[in-house]
Amino acid sequence: MLKNDSRIEAADFVFLDSGCYFSSQFVQKLRQQPDWKVWDMYGLPNCDLTPVHCLVIDGFADQEFLYQERAIIRRFLDDGKIVIFCGHLFRDWLPGASAFVPKQVRSYHDYTVLIHQPHPIFAGVRPEDMTYRKGVAGFFARGHHPLPPLAEVLLTLADGEPITYIDRFSTRGTILVHAGNNLFGYDEPSDTSGRIAAQLKRWVRDEYGRIRERREMSCEK
Amino acid sequence: MRKIAALYGGNAHQQRTLYESKYRRFFAEVIYLPALYRGSLDEFDVLLVPSQLHQGLLARSQPQIRQFLNRGGIIAAFGAQPQPWLPGHNWEFRPTNFWWWLEPNAKSGLVLKRPEHDLFRYITLEDATWHYHGVFWPAAGAEILIEVEDGGAIFYIDKLTTPGTLILTTLDPEFHYGSYFMPATERFLDGFLPWLAEGQL
Repeated sequence: MLKNDSRIEAADFVFLDSGCYFSSQFVQKLRQQPDWKVWDMYGLPNCDLTPVHCLVIDGFADQEFLYQERAIIRRFLDDGKIVIFCGHLFRDWLPGASAFVPKQVRSYHDYTVLIHQPHPIFAGVRPEDMTYRKGVAGFFARGHHPLPPLAEVLLTLADGEPITYIDRFSTRGTILVHAGNNLFGYDEPSDTSGRIAAQLKRWVRDEYGRIRERREMSCEK
Repeated sequence: MRKIAALYGGNAHQQRTLYESKYRRFFAEVIYLPALYRGSLDEFDVLLVPSQLHQGLLARSQPQIRQFLNRGGIIAAFGAQPQPWLPGHNWEFRPTNFWWWLEPNAKSGLVLKRPEHDLFRYITLEDATWHYHGVFWPAAGAEILIEVEDGGAIFYIDKLTTPGTLILTTLDPEFHYGSYFMPATERFLDGFLPWLAEGQL
């Protein structure tokens, strides 16, 4: 469990680990990075979130548990922090977010990923590299979450369904929702989608700074 | 009809699969994994264990699972099993080939070993064919129904290692069905669950 000590300052990012087999390789990689901490998700109620800037939760997470502990997530966000969720939501634990809506798939073209507007997280990433892996479509996203008011859409499917969005209005922090695999897993240099993890990390740091600035300005008033 | 309990870890793919009405009707109870260590499996004939459960919680529930097998219970488990929490499966990791079907003269590598087995009145080999993440090397005497060409079991039944019955497959149909990916997995579940409920094991 996380303890209050000076080393925590570097642990900006916390991945809430579902403890399942498919996450184990990703977890091993994170453990080698000094700015990441990996917490077993069931330890969340006993953890000190004060030094943490960003909580990352993937699609293997126990959403029954997250719903039970939704007040912790809400408090973390209202403290001006960032939550990134990548997966299919089915419980109401993430402020402003709606349940996942699967895409009615008639052909592989339905899986086409489009960049809705340029954004630093996806700078230099070719939409084709998100749509296809070795010529096969469907790995990246197979549906969407309906948007909360004023959300900023980053990526869509071919018919305009928003698969990746940022919500700065449902709480006093920032929420990024992606209807697919963990975006921090896109770090392989084999194609341009491998840029996503590093660019997302940079965006989180910038976003955290922006939230702090906003909060300081509103305090000054 | 056998009385089946399904384990549920609270994730999205399990939620979709286990609570889909055409599958939910096969389960007398869906047991939330974090609660299993406090409970008992005494009233059930079969425990269905989906893939991608919390490994630590599974380990904590070992006494319940062992007791269930020792009194002759049937465990059917899906997916990779890197931890030795079920007796005798001997998991071996294999890199996954998601793209075998795009290769020239495409072959999945899966081989039907016991075409006469009752399971295959419910599913075909094609219904069990998408990809796999590894193989098992079960104990001698286990009945291998599906294996891969270069060795290793994909689906087997072991009635010897414990007083109970272990039905293990490295396939993870509930993950793919619950993730809206791979149509064969729905056909697999459409046949596998009725067989588990009433077929000859």
